[in-house]
Formats: sequence, C-alpha cells, structure tokens
Amino acid sequence: MKSPSVAALARSYRAERVVTALIGLLALLAGATALVVGQGWLGSFRAVRPVLDPIALDTLGNWQTHARVGAIVLGVLLLVLGLLLAARTLRPERHPDLALDRSVGSGLVVTASAIAEAIAVDAEQVDGVSRARATVVGDPEEPALRLSVWLHEGTRLKDVWRELDGSVLTRARESLGVDTLPTAVRVELGTAERQRVR
Amino acid sequence: MRVFVRILSLLLGLALAAAGALLALEVGWTWARPVDGPLLVPWPAWRDRLAGLTWQDTEVRVTAWVVAGAGLVLLLVALTARRKDVELLDPTPGVTVRTSPRSLARIVGTRVRAEENVSGASVTATARKVRVRASSGLESEEQLRPRLQEVVRTTLEDLPLTRRPRVSVVVDSPRDRS
Repeated sequence: MKSPSVAALARSYRAERVVTALIGLLALLAGATALVVGQGWLGSFRAVRPVLDPIALDTLGNWQTHARVGAIVLGVLLLVLGLLLAARTLRPERHPDLALDRSVGSGLVVTASAIAEAIAVDAEQVDGVSRARATVVGDPEEPALRLSVWLHEGTRLKDVWRELDGSVLTRARESLGVDTLPTAVRVELGTAERQRVR
Repeated sequence: MRVFVRILSLLLGLALAAAGALLALEVGWTWARPVDGPLLVPWPAWRDRLAGLTWQDTEVRVTAWVVAGAGLVLLLVALTARRKDVELLDPTPGVTVRTSPRSLARIVGTRVRAEENVSGASVTATARKVRVRASSGLESEEQLRPRLQEVVRTTLEDLPLTRRPRVSVVVDSPRDRS
C-alpha cells in the first residue's frame, strides 16, 4: 500500500498500463502462435489445414447450446469490461472539498480550489520560489495535497524546505484544522525568471 | 508516453466493448432466427473465407506478423509509461518530494557552462545516471574532465537526493584531435 503522500504525486495509470500490457502480450502470443503453426513447427500436416478447422467446427456443432451460451456470456463480459475500462480512463481526477464542520445546519465546507489557491499563494511568498501550484487530491476522507514549486536558479533546496514545511504547510494544517496533511511536493529546479514579452 | 497509454486504453476499452456487444448480438440473433441471416456482421462470408485459407497462406502469415507487431508495440508503450521522477529525501514524515530529471539536467548544465573554458554542454539525466557532454576549444579532455566531474559531483551533493546518480563526463575538444 502506497503512503498517501506518495499516491498524491501524480494520477495513477496503473490499471491503464496493466490492461494495455496484457492485451499487447495476448496479441503478441496469438500472432507468434499463428506464425509457429504456419511454419510447421507444430506438425507439417497442421500447417496445411484450414484456419477454421473442420474438427473444431464439428466439436462446436456437437455442443451447440453450450457454445452459444458461452459466446453470449463472453460477449457481455467483454462489453462490461470494455465500458468499465473506458469510463475509468475518462474519469477526471478527484479534487475533494474539505468539510471543516459536518454538523447539520451549520456545516462548513472549503472547496478544493479555494484551499489550493490559498496554499499556492502562500508558497509563492517563500524566498526562492518563483511559481507555485497546489491541488487537493485523494479521497474525501483522507485528502492530500500536491504542491508543485518552481525554484529560482541557485536557490538552496534545504532552505526552501525549512520554510515550506515550517510556515506554509503548518499554516495550512492549522487553518484547516487537520493534524496531518499528506503532501507530495514536485520541485522544478533552476527555472529562470519568466520574462514576459509585452 | 503516459498520455498515449491513456488514449490507447480508452480505444482498447471501446474496441473490446464493441466486439463483445457484436458477438453477443450476432450469436443471440442467429439462435433466435436461424433462417434470417446475419444481423450486422457478414460472418458467414468470413467463415467461408477462413475455411478456405490454410495456416501457410501469405495472408494468414502477414496478419499474424501484424498482430504480433501491434502487440509488441502495445507492450512496449505500456512498459515505458513509468514515471521517471528523481527521488529526494523526505523533509518530514508525510511529505514526499520528487523532482524531474529535466531539472537535474538543467542545474547541472548551468553549473558546467559557468565553468571557465567550456564553450557548450549538453546534459542528460535520469535518477541513476547523469551524462555530461561538454565542448571546449581551449582545454583538452585530460585537463577539463576531472574539474567538470568535481563540479557535477558537488552540484549533486548539494541536493538531498536519496541515491547519488553516477556521473559521466565527456569532453569534446579540438586539442584532442591533433
């Protein structure tokens, strides 16, 4: 199990990668098997038999009901799995709002973008930080923070750390009233001052 | 590559769903009305075509090569879509810090170019290895290399990296070609 701060680093593509790799592996094996059969390495007689083998067709014909039910079940299964995969890929990343007070009638919710904006502005005040961007990610029960900071050239990383952790993150925790706020920081080092052309 | 995997998995998901729906639909249709012929896919024609082909035919072999090649491409794309972040030490528990290989290369490159007698440098960096290729018109590789190696080493030591990347420096100098 990844720790929440590691999980907050970036959106996970594990499911997409695993499925793509599995389908790729299956296609590779299928193609390779067809080539091996065609070469005659699994018997020279098999290589000259039709692709749609009459023996296989006979077997399917003998078990017609089973084959039909099996094909329909397989088709429905593929349909559901394919739609789930597509939906998962298209789903946007969650940015949970933070509920400070859950009592009915006087509930108080801070939206994810408000938290993110406040923390980013705060982080940009730190010496050596040229730009900062914050995002709230993760479960609503266990929100985490993703903070990207762009540092000026020649900034000492350790000084930035001390200030980020000592003031920015502490302030964020205090104002949100949470004991821990898992945080993933992405640092871009040595970025020059952006020069705007007007 | 990561965006590419996402697009690919979306397309694969939609293709799987479409194939599954057609399979279930055709089998169900033929089961219910055996005499009406196929619904959407002309599968009897495909069946007759496949029955006429043997495993040795060129068409079958070309298709097999194409399928195997496409599978290999999918596999490689999925395997190379890792995150290539460089790990930095956690300042406190609950805080994880990463930087990009590009940042590492950028600061190493700035330091190397700031050295005397270096006319240009290109740097490629990963979490494991930093490669520097510097060019110099005035100093030979033997003179410049130890100095640059030291510069790169101290630059990397200033960063709280969890693992020190190996450093390789190559100097391109016309003085070595005499």
